[in-house]
Amino acid sequence: MNWILGLPELVLAVSALVILAAGVLQKKDEAFLPCAMLSIAAFVVTGFLVVRAPDGIAYNGMLVVDAFSRFIKVLALIGGVAAIALSIGYSDGRRQLPFEMPVLVLFSTLGAMVMASSSNLMTLFVGLELSSLSIYILCAIERDRLGAAEAGLKYFILGSLASGLLLYGMSLVYGYAGTMDYAPIAAEINGTGVVPLGLMIGTVFIIVGLAFKLSAVPFHMWTPDVYQGAPTPVTAYMAGAPKFAAFALILRVMSGPFGAMSPRWQMLIEVIAALSMLFGSFAAIPQHNIKRLMAYSSIGHMGYAMMGLAAASPAGTTGTLVYLAAYLVMNAGTFGVIAAMRRRGHEVTGISDLAGLGRNNPGLALVLAICMFSMIGVPPMAGFFGKFMVFAAAWNAGLYPLVAVGAVSAVVGAFYYLRVVKVIYFDPAAAPFDKTAPSVSFVSVAMGLATVLFLIGLGPISTAAQAAAQALIGQG
Amino acid sequence: MIQLVFYVFATVLVASAAMVISARNPVHSVLFLILGFFNAAGLFLIAGAEFLAMILVIVYVGAVAVLFLFVVMMLDIDFTKMREGLQRYAPFGAAVGCVLFAELVMAGLHWVTSPVTPAPITGGLGEPGGPMTNTSALGTLIYTHYILLFQLCGLILLVAMIGAITLTLREKPTGRRQIIGKQHDRMRADTLEMLDLPLGNGTNANGGFLRPPGSYYDTAVPGSYGIPPSDSRASENGEGVPK
Amino acid sequence: MNSAIAQIGLGPFLTVSAALLVLGVFGIFLNRKNIIIIMMSMELILLSANLNFVAFSGALGDLSGQVMVLFTLTIAAAEAAIGLAILTVYFRNRGSIQVDDVATMKG
Repeated sequence: MNWILGLPELVLAVSALVILAAGVLQKKDEAFLPCAMLSIAAFVVTGFLVVRAPDGIAYNGMLVVDAFSRFIKVLALIGGVAAIALSIGYSDGRRQLPFEMPVLVLFSTLGAMVMASSSNLMTLFVGLELSSLSIYILCAIERDRLGAAEAGLKYFILGSLASGLLLYGMSLVYGYAGTMDYAPIAAEINGTGVVPLGLMIGTVFIIVGLAFKLSAVPFHMWTPDVYQGAPTPVTAYMAGAPKFAAFALILRVMSGPFGAMSPRWQMLIEVIAALSMLFGSFAAIPQHNIKRLMAYSSIGHMGYAMMGLAAASPAGTTGTLVYLAAYLVMNAGTFGVIAAMRRRGHEVTGISDLAGLGRNNPGLALVLAICMFSMIGVPPMAGFFGKFMVFAAAWNAGLYPLVAVGAVSAVVGAFYYLRVVKVIYFDPAAAPFDKTAPSVSFVSVAMGLATVLFLIGLGPISTAAQAAAQALIGQG
Repeated sequence: MIQLVFYVFATVLVASAAMVISARNPVHSVLFLILGFFNAAGLFLIAGAEFLAMILVIVYVGAVAVLFLFVVMMLDIDFTKMREGLQRYAPFGAAVGCVLFAELVMAGLHWVTSPVTPAPITGGLGEPGGPMTNTSALGTLIYTHYILLFQLCGLILLVAMIGAITLTLREKPTGRRQIIGKQHDRMRADTLEMLDLPLGNGTNANGGFLRPPGSYYDTAVPGSYGIPPSDSRASENGEGVPK
Repeated sequence: MNSAIAQIGLGPFLTVSAALLVLGVFGIFLNRKNIIIIMMSMELILLSANLNFVAFSGALGDLSGQVMVLFTLTIAAAEAAIGLAILTVYFRNRGSIQVDDVATMKG
């Protein structure tokens, strides 16, 4: 058994246990900061191990390490670090998050990494549950606030419904294939020309379950409420790592075991992508709360990223991965600014509260403006390259209606993103925000810079994404 | 014969599942859930999964369903408010449900398994020299072939534990705790005083207490017994020594 | 193939689990009463998937389905514990667990 391939996961799990023990042994009020610092250190070490890990299949075909899993894992780890850094700033006020928060983020990221590496439906399910269960708790971790409890409850109910449907779909696939390993399933479906009804239903259930986790339309209902109710660092986390992992699953499952059936599910993915893009654009227009706005924005972005999947080509997969990388930096930058929105120790989340940010805090305003332009897809920013690559892939695959829908929703989306920029720079100034915590400033500035200078990193990122796409196509 | 047993279990299972979602009183729902799990365990037995059948009864009936019952009782819900039953969407939902059900049954009745399946994973069950029972075969598998997932499941249980504690444990600020060292260091003279009281004039005449004033607070964790009473109140409540 | 399943056939097992799935989904979407019932419906859905796994495992003579059920039972227990903990937190804040009340955020 080649257990060394699982070393990053083992290290992350063991460090989570050690940090938990360290947190329990400290005084209740002082435990958060050391635990958060240790968690960031654990993430960095794990990231190093992930990059260095050799390729291969381990644990009797349960876990696969390849360029694809490495790409997704690095994204998930960066998302985790950003969320924990934001939580350090969040705890500066009167309300203190418990020290379990970074530990749960560690466990959730561990689940996301396992999902990215899954080469068996069982690993998929266990990783998904480890990740989701931690996030259910994280949503409700501010237990004395009704909004947080309600967010946790909603996310729990819809999330576990999705898990149940996913599990049911898996059982049907298992009944057809007699195994849950991806490679034999792919071989069997390739071998027989006909696809029986049971297998088809199973595949649809799996897509539905994963689309729930991605918050793609029509399985998005939970997203705005949960994003609004959950504590801001948790929202920042939810918009990152779990999304990447769910995308990893949907890419891996759809191009691996069910790759041979692609004409049958491609239509479904196209519809989900188109609906997500449209809904994300139009429903965001009347929003007044920036966290809700980000929820709709993330629904839309998932739609764009799915365009690459719908193209069902290596270029499409590469485009999706670059899109996810761009989404990671601009999303984390925006949440950095949202985390800085505090007046007299209280969080404010109205879009109108941002008025006058351009005068009161030019740095943060610039970061937010950069992220908003990037989300629109204005050329030098990160978002442009992602959008360009998925649009090109979809165009080359002949999905012209989808490209048209994407273009329309990008234009509509530009409207509400520009409205935020207008509020920052041109509306009459509101009271300034509290002094921003250093960690929050660091995250927003670092991510803002990454968004602007994405072009510099584009070469290595797209090379890595291409290698990842190759690895993915090669597995089937 | 086995068919008859199957259909009895299956009928009771589906009927109790229907009762779970339609019973008006949540306590009845939980009880029907338990009944359903028992019958599902029967089906598991028929399908040859003895260990899982026992686990279902032990884990589900023993832990999960009881947890549900516990929460239903603990939350102290006003059941009279909840007597509304299924609402206006019920007919539409029932129609959709019937279609879904028909499709699934169609898929189930004409079930096709792939003509080429990989070698089954048996954990040595049924092979010469292999384990004799379902339980030992499962045990062999989870500690060898599936060790990674087994460990991850352990982490999931840990996460559940962390979650339940973080979300619901409330340390009462008035929880009465002692500093153990101080309590051990106490001498008899600090706490006990021999008095010579006249007959018929016991503790009742002295407010019912016989302890030095404020003696609680000597060994208490600061703040954990609340605020120490002022001296006047202490002598009023706590003084047992006759003047 | 397991002898009992050979006599009964795979179809009836799948029908029972389909019925459980539909009842569970029905319970979640149409329940206007309280959230505990929704959580019990979730247990029904998981049970239906487990029943499928066990039936297929018996029919295929492959134990990986049963191992999956073992893990699923563990995960479902964890899920129930977390769900009930969140529900308790919610009840403490809101004083109710009616489905209609879970809507303080709109938009």
